[in-house]
Amino acid sequence: MSNACGRFSRRGVLRLGSVGGLSLAEALRWQQATAAETPAAAKKDVNCIFIFLLGGMPHQDLWDLKPDAPAEIRGDFQPISTAVPGLQVSDCLPGVAQVTDKLAILRGMTHTDSDHGRGFHIMMTGVQATGPGDFNGNKNNNQHPSLGSMVSRAGGTKSSLPPYISVPNFIDSGGPSFLGASHAPFVIESDPASPEFSVRDITLPADVTDQRSRRRQAALRHINDFEKRVSEASKQVQSLDTFYEKAYRLMVSQEAKEAFDIHREPATVRERYGNTSLGQCCLLARRLVEAGCRFVTIENGHWDTHRKNTESLRQLLVPAFDRALPALLVDLAQSGLLDSTLVVVSTEFGRTPRINELAGRDHWPGAFSVCLAGAGLKTGQAVGATDKHAAYVTDRPTTPADLAATILSVLGIDPQTTLYTPLGRPVPLVNGGKTIHEVI
Amino acid sequence: MMVSTRFHLLGCLLAIATATALQAADNLAHESTTGSVRSISVEPRYVELSSSNRQQYLLVSGQMSDGRLIDLSRVARCDVADSKLARVDGHRVVGIANGETRLTISAAGNALELPVRVAGFDRYPPVHFANDIVPLFSRLGCNGGGCHGKATGQNGFKLSVFGFDPVADYGALVKEARGRRVFPAGPERSLVVEKALAEVPHGGGRRMEPGSTEHELLLEWIKQGLPVGNSDAPRPARLYVSPNMRVLRFGGEQQILATVVFSDGAVRDVTAAALYATNAASVAEVNSTGLVGVGHVPGEAAITVNYMGLVAAVQILVPRPSAPDSDPYPSIRANNRIDELVWEKLRNLGIVPSGLADDATFLRRLYLDTLGTLPTSDEVRAFLCNPSESKRSEQIERVLARDEYADFWALKWSDVLLVDRKALGDRGAYELHRWLRQQLAANRPYDAWVRELLTASGNSGGYGPTNLYRVLRTPEELTRAVSQAFLGIRLECAQCHHHPFERWSQDDFYGLAGFFNGLERKPLGAGRDLVFHSGLRDMTIPVFNRVVPTHVLDGRPLTSGDGDPRQRLAQWMTEPGNPWFARLLANRLWKQFFGRGLVDPEDDLRSTNPATNEPLLSYLTQQVVASGFDVKTIMRQMLASRTYQLSSAANATNADDERNFSHYYVRRLPAEVLLDAICDATGAPEAFVGSPPGTRAIELWDNRLPSYFLEIFGRPQRNSPCECGRSSEPTMSQALHLMNAPEIERKISDPSGRVARLVQSGADPSAIVEELCLVAIGRAPAERERQVAEELFAGGSNQDAAEDFLWALLNSYDFLFTH
Repeated sequence: MSNACGRFSRRGVLRLGSVGGLSLAEALRWQQATAAETPAAAKKDVNCIFIFLLGGMPHQDLWDLKPDAPAEIRGDFQPISTAVPGLQVSDCLPGVAQVTDKLAILRGMTHTDSDHGRGFHIMMTGVQATGPGDFNGNKNNNQHPSLGSMVSRAGGTKSSLPPYISVPNFIDSGGPSFLGASHAPFVIESDPASPEFSVRDITLPADVTDQRSRRRQAALRHINDFEKRVSEASKQVQSLDTFYEKAYRLMVSQEAKEAFDIHREPATVRERYGNTSLGQCCLLARRLVEAGCRFVTIENGHWDTHRKNTESLRQLLVPAFDRALPALLVDLAQSGLLDSTLVVVSTEFGRTPRINELAGRDHWPGAFSVCLAGAGLKTGQAVGATDKHAAYVTDRPTTPADLAATILSVLGIDPQTTLYTPLGRPVPLVNGGKTIHEVI
Repeated sequence: MMVSTRFHLLGCLLAIATATALQAADNLAHESTTGSVRSISVEPRYVELSSSNRQQYLLVSGQMSDGRLIDLSRVARCDVADSKLARVDGHRVVGIANGETRLTISAAGNALELPVRVAGFDRYPPVHFANDIVPLFSRLGCNGGGCHGKATGQNGFKLSVFGFDPVADYGALVKEARGRRVFPAGPERSLVVEKALAEVPHGGGRRMEPGSTEHELLLEWIKQGLPVGNSDAPRPARLYVSPNMRVLRFGGEQQILATVVFSDGAVRDVTAAALYATNAASVAEVNSTGLVGVGHVPGEAAITVNYMGLVAAVQILVPRPSAPDSDPYPSIRANNRIDELVWEKLRNLGIVPSGLADDATFLRRLYLDTLGTLPTSDEVRAFLCNPSESKRSEQIERVLARDEYADFWALKWSDVLLVDRKALGDRGAYELHRWLRQQLAANRPYDAWVRELLTASGNSGGYGPTNLYRVLRTPEELTRAVSQAFLGIRLECAQCHHHPFERWSQDDFYGLAGFFNGLERKPLGAGRDLVFHSGLRDMTIPVFNRVVPTHVLDGRPLTSGDGDPRQRLAQWMTEPGNPWFARLLANRLWKQFFGRGLVDPEDDLRSTNPATNEPLLSYLTQQVVASGFDVKTIMRQMLASRTYQLSSAANATNADDERNFSHYYVRRLPAEVLLDAICDATGAPEAFVGSPPGTRAIELWDNRLPSYFLEIFGRPQRNSPCECGRSSEPTMSQALHLMNAPEIERKISDPSGRVARLVQSGADPSAIVEELCLVAIGRAPAERERQVAEELFAGGSNQDAAEDFLWALLNSYDFLFTH
């Protein structure tokens, strides 16, 4: 015990004390917890591209077709054969069908939250929200840290890029919760498919030349150096200083600038991903993980097909997806990044078995599908199965907590690590989830 | 794991091969160089072991020649006269056989004797499940929220968190899993025993040692046939800890003695059975038998002692090593009683406060902390040129009388009271904010406006305070928010289980919630409600289905069913004798001006979270009551103190001080204040959608107004009843925004902004630089700013140079922080 007291130098204590929203003791617990699993994770950073299809992706029309069900349930899609014998997907996914060898389809996903807000929460954090599910517009209202924030908190990044980036927009429940604002995602807030795409605040304002910026930075450093000396004791100054340094590194980093500059991609590559928001976001995400970002969330909207489900899917939603995902997987494989990149296709929930009177499908968390790819996972398979109407899971149910545990494990983070909330309540990163061993 | 080794001090300090003994010897060697032990004392005064499983820890204290008390428990020699009756293991007396004898304790040349009585040794007393086994699970960590205590249990075995539900725990242990967890025919083979010893694989590892008292107790309970215990068995009533406070030196140690008095008056040593936790592990740690160890970091720690929901705290103070005996402690002027109490604490810690902040720093600090607003360049000039001796107190008066005061404090109270446009609608949020601003502008006594707020009924569209009951819509939400916002009591834990660090139970939670049960919100259309209370209705605890009589904390149940019960609640909360109400206000105000609450977080006033300076907080609390809850009177005293006016620059003794106010604690400007400051400095106001031109960010009633700036700088969501939602944490987005945002660049280069006006007025560079410094950082340019400016103005047009200079100022720490 006495040894433990003397173990940290004052300086070390200060440094830890200023990290995140955690107290020293909590930071230490975290450190110990993460130190314990370092040997296993020492090999190589696995990064994650987390594609989130907002609204609720219809599992029965994409991944888990039921051709023998009555017409009002099976809908208008037919299963087709794919690169993996015996593994079928929807006829609206001809592109994906060619890369199913790179996919693990989790057909047994299930939870109980049929509200979008609560659905975001459980899928973005792995933890069910208590209280009302309306999180719209609340950028950090999630009660549990999002997966990206956990990754940011656990490891950070070796590159000058932020460890957790959200593109093009923030997704509800994607915030850091009690981990603190330092682990919030860096939100691009600009669509890479737009010709005017640029990343907010990382480039100089129009009237400020490089030369002028250097003059300004030199002036600032001169003024601040003095201040840093006199208030060395101020943790707040030190801590903002760290972020200024990071921000400055990001601003001047050629690597980062190039990573964000999607215009550097050859037209043929951009074309391959498709000139859509999702396509270009996937391409940008590839560039970001390539440059060392640990977790990129892609927000893709409008999958909430309460009306005209077939039409929406065939004409608006699926073509972009069916082009972007295969392009991303092939591109990652060709550039050798697939083994160190986990790709997740997630959503809040599935959709109702029965087609409603507006020719749409409503919210259905009882059974749905998500996909995993890359990171050396056992792909080319489907895990879990649902009943004849794709309504309930009949084989190998997997929960959002299981999915979260799997994602964290693959990224080298022990899902059982315990965090402490500001009230001192112990909270495991993932509550009760088990890694889905079939895919690891 | 501590190794407790008997250690004899016999003149020479022979090395004994355990780390702790060596440590203890070092302590004493260190102590002996600075003074000698004048006398010793021991707790308890007599040892009574009433059955075979009882033990008694001894707390031996030595009084040094300089008056200090040191712990000699682990170096004292303890001899039992009749070694057939009792023995001493370390500093713990354990019985051997029934009888009476005496114990001689000697240390540092002093000796004293105490009587020892061993009784009932021939039998293990009947084990009581709730009184013996449940605390055992708490102590071994089985029922913690990270383990079997979490809502879903752990691997199929679920205990109630912190043992709040012994009936359920008994069922889980004895009846579930087909009874295989306990095995009366072979207690040793019970799963619960094997798991706790890790004889079979256990995710939680080994929780107790074979042959330990814990092991013995668990076996005994199973052997005795798994008794539930008498329902009228004595319950633990009070927990005493000793010592309450100790000053320790680097490397020092201190044993804690924990004693429980049962409801039948029986006294039992629970030192080995209690749970210990430290609130500052870098200063002091504590092990499972209550031994505190201090490292090499000066400061203070509170050690929390918890036994079956009873809690007490021990305060450990670790002064800086050099002062005060080597350096004479300087005499420092006190402006008022606040200073005297702060100096007293600092002197104890050997910390010397920083010098007085200069006038410019004081003025900027005063404006920002009180008004959330920068002083104008003219105000800075006038103050600096004012020769009056009493100009600081005169300025405090002027500042407290300004309009921005109400804007800024309405913003702060709106955070606490969750004035959220999303929850309330435009009208409701506007009305509640406006009402709060009126109360603050009039400096209405705090107790009066809180009473009005808490008992508000009427049309939410015309009467602002009713909207509190529209943000918070259930008795549970109201209980959590109101107790935290006005009493500093965090009851949310107690909604579901006994509060782990406090005495509050579910009965307390639902007893308080009863006051808000029966509140009605009748829609009147157009986003308005008629809010009223339909009369007293007691609450029911959900899982147990038990009705709890409505009562205030620590109070008797409400009997009258007539009228609005909130009247009674508001009266109890705001009466001068309420132990929390005035104290929380004092602590809140302190936090705003001094950067950290005397209790921190400022709204967590539990006994296990003691104030860093209790005499000071008590004094301020008295002042709040004595002033008739006149907030400005209290502010005046705080602002006038020398403590408030200290420089933020540290000296050799206080650089590490973060909680005793030996220097001003630098902090970043809050989101709204920073945005206003940028607008004021650039002379280019922000245009807020839907607000008249010239509206400042601190005046906004709408917390949802789209603003990228306010969002990234931590404007709170107003979903928890504290200022904790307001983040001052730095992020990369903030730094990038300040450096590169086109929005800010447009303000700097605004054709009718400050730079353009100055340059067009034909002012020379030094005048431009002086004006920009005064307005942005509240002081005349220092050498470093002049140098920087000289280079910039030499290298470009006056317009470009002034823009670049202002850019550098806006990104400087002098600007972003209050100093």
